[in-house]
Amino acid sequence: MESLGEEPWDVVICGTGLQQSLLALALSRSKKRILHTDPNYYYGQYEAALTLQEAESFAAKHAGGSSEAEKKRSVVRNAAVWKPDDAEAQGLKFPRAYSLALAPQIIHTKSKLLSSLVSSRAYRQVEFLAVGSFFVYEPAKDGSDPKLSRIPSSREDVFSSQSIPARSKRSLMKFLKFVLDFESDDQKPLWEAHADASLTDFLTAQFKLEDDLKRYVVALTMALDGKASVRSGLAAINRHLTSMGMFGPGFCAVYPKWGGLSEIAQVACRAGAVGGGIYMLDTSATMKPSGENEKASLELPNGITVQADSVISGQETTASVQAISRLIAVVKSPLNSLFQVLVEGAPTPAVAVVALPSTPSPIYAVIHSSDTGECPVGQCVVYLTTLATAGSKHELEQALVMLVYAVEGEDSTSPCLYQLYYEQALGDRQSTTENHGTTPALSFPPLSATIAFEDSDLEAVKTAWSLVSGDESDEDTYLVFEDREGADAEDEVYE
Amino acid sequence: MASTHGIARTNRSRTDEQRQQDLDRIQKYRDLDDQIQLHVKQSNYSDPTLFHLTTKILRLNPEYYTIWNVRRRCLISGSLSKRSAGLWRSKASPSTSRSVTTKPSCAASSPSPSAATRPAPATSPSPKKAGESGTIPDEEEADPCNAGKEEEKDGDDEEADIAADTSLVQSELAFTIPLLIEFPKCYWVWGYRSFFLSLCDAILPAGAARDFWAAELALDSKMLTKDRRNFHAWSYRRFIVSALESTTTKNDGDESAKAKSMTESEFAYTYSMIKVDLSNFSAWHNRSNLALRLLDERGADDAARKKFLDQELELAREGLNVGPEDQSLWYYHQFLMDQITTTVGASSKGVGENGKEAKGLIAPNLSLADRRDFVDREVAEIKDLLEDYADAKLIYEALLEYGIAYRAMGESDADTANQDEMMAWLAKLKELDPLRRGRWDDLEKSLQA
Repeated sequence: MESLGEEPWDVVICGTGLQQSLLALALSRSKKRILHTDPNYYYGQYEAALTLQEAESFAAKHAGGSSEAEKKRSVVRNAAVWKPDDAEAQGLKFPRAYSLALAPQIIHTKSKLLSSLVSSRAYRQVEFLAVGSFFVYEPAKDGSDPKLSRIPSSREDVFSSQSIPARSKRSLMKFLKFVLDFESDDQKPLWEAHADASLTDFLTAQFKLEDDLKRYVVALTMALDGKASVRSGLAAINRHLTSMGMFGPGFCAVYPKWGGLSEIAQVACRAGAVGGGIYMLDTSATMKPSGENEKASLELPNGITVQADSVISGQETTASVQAISRLIAVVKSPLNSLFQVLVEGAPTPAVAVVALPSTPSPIYAVIHSSDTGECPVGQCVVYLTTLATAGSKHELEQALVMLVYAVEGEDSTSPCLYQLYYEQALGDRQSTTENHGTTPALSFPPLSATIAFEDSDLEAVKTAWSLVSGDESDEDTYLVFEDREGADAEDEVYE
Repeated sequence: MASTHGIARTNRSRTDEQRQQDLDRIQKYRDLDDQIQLHVKQSNYSDPTLFHLTTKILRLNPEYYTIWNVRRRCLISGSLSKRSAGLWRSKASPSTSRSVTTKPSCAASSPSPSAATRPAPATSPSPKKAGESGTIPDEEEADPCNAGKEEEKDGDDEEADIAADTSLVQSELAFTIPLLIEFPKCYWVWGYRSFFLSLCDAILPAGAARDFWAAELALDSKMLTKDRRNFHAWSYRRFIVSALESTTTKNDGDESAKAKSMTESEFAYTYSMIKVDLSNFSAWHNRSNLALRLLDERGADDAARKKFLDQELELAREGLNVGPEDQSLWYYHQFLMDQITTTVGASSKGVGENGKEAKGLIAPNLSLADRRDFVDREVAEIKDLLEDYADAKLIYEALLEYGIAYRAMGESDADTANQDEMMAWLAKLKELDPLRRGRWDDLEKSLQA
């Protein structure tokens, strides 16, 4: 251990969240001396995947609320776990049979995250599953049962849909075609003047979409406040439509098996380790005061002090007031009907998305089948997200019951075997940089707590990479690597 | 990846290093070719080295069709049994091959190749199967079929030959799978596979051969999932299906088991492919090909045929409703409309309007009034599309085409009223498609005549 302090580190990365890990991947061929630490004994930080035991300690650590007076708030707060007294009798398995993802974001096939994983060859260690259908929850009306309506999101979907009248199909097609091309000079005049207005109003005025179709379109934006602007809404739907079919028929997004972004963080860290980086888990590094002309020093728990040319970490507190509420629930039935293959040749989906109308903001439920490896066969894990309000925990619990009822058709007041609840700050969306002596220190903002992974979260990684690489940085080589020896043995059938 | 649809060609500039690598590769390829030509010149087909060389060069370039033939000749002169090689020379085709086989009659119904009754694996028959068939001679003693056979020894040899040939077929099929995936539009790869499957038909009991064909159909579906518009895979599919339809299913030695038509399932398959992507000429084409057979096999009466036509028009229109700019949808719609507007007498005359033999119509006994009703309704529905798609040129083309066909149906008094409308559509076409102005002018003249 002593040599740790003597080593002249080029960069110390604190935390193994997705962004820090991707930075480690980006630097993994740079020959830089990298020390990568994490205060937890697992990888991923706020993007980790937790066993039930880890979920309990996570909840205990982040149980604290925050008084309104507090200026700086922790990124995760009000965490709690709950299970019925007879959970085991009802089917709850041993704690390690579960892997609850703190970052269950789906990844659109068009996302830069995927192309970076491909160009950096890290994708070989990740198993991607298909995200299948998107639904809108239709409450019971006129004596009919509540149900889930599948959102048609391609020409072929609209073609096969039985529930939309022919004329409405045409209006919807007109809109879908417009969205595919909305950034072209031909289409811009149609929306630019209303760019910041509400998408719903725009749909009414420009496309005469009926209420049902409008709800579909707005649900597809996956805007947590349910009030997408024209600009952001069109961009989100465009991403959805153009991602459809890119990696195969019938799906527009993927999800990494075994715990979502946590898997990607781990794979990226592994690449960092293969590249020579030193990894220390269960180790928190604290910045020590440093003189003006000195390098920054960090203190490790056992009294060792390390020095670094640059320090990269993640923001632990935030001034942001807005947060999301998330309920992760292990459900005792598999909800199989949500995971059907709907087109020829499509893979069996492992993830389904349901938008539930709610006030003041909608609730999104993302359901993971046991194919994700997050729960045993015969169960599923439901991730419910909404903007945090005083009553949102209760609303999410209600939404879960409503969802399971709509799928299963029979009343189940307690479908849940285990649940983890927490609130996560939406963050400031900006990385911060300050100098400690001669050492620049950059902190990543918390990852967007959205339903789908946002490419904008990758920008800070590149900023950090440029900062660490300094003059040597050549943009063309950013996350573009050859396979390491032996990794591509499979492809080399033809000598 | 496999598909080139929508992927732009890019001009790649090469570094000197890459250039050198390419030159090395070219040299390596030429050396291989020279060695092969040398062997061929000396007719050295039984030399295993030559076979090995073909493997190497075909992996680099499966488009080099001469080499596929060299490879075949290698197998005929070497690994394949005399009997199979002989069959091959006589160019056994799937339909005639079984009559050529000299197998004892009971072999076809013999339950001994146990692997044959097992469902075939999804991609290719596993090599393990060859080993299992190799155990046949042991079981044969217990087989009453062979008990009184005079030339038992020869029978044993033949079974062993079959086992060896089967395993060869498997390895050749396995060899071409990665090539097929990398070069999905290479004629020779598809052709080479079909040759081996036909051989399979000739040397194996029907049930066992069927497993190969069934596995091939699954592979073909995989290829169509990768590129749903690969016309090689579509035409190969028809080839496989016809082979499967002419092969009797092996059902616990029940010789009466009849070959089963796959028209219904293939017709359904075209729909599932259309649901993935409406824009698929091959799927629509296959559907139009299957329609007549389907109705014949269903024993559809006139009412059922009319209903079928109605449903198919509805399907095409549902598609056009969301994609009026899609030519493949119009082709299918035109095919259906042609079924309606074709002159009634055509089938009795045996020659259709365009000189082609009329193979029968979907609904041959529609009354003129029915036919007019159909056309009227379609034209009305298509005109309705203009409300939302005023600039879709194919709509105007279709309206004009159907308008002209409607007139040709004769006995009409309403068509003069239609003249103004037709001229208006034509004017719109001139505006939307000025490059074909001459054609539109010509059409205008014929309309005014």
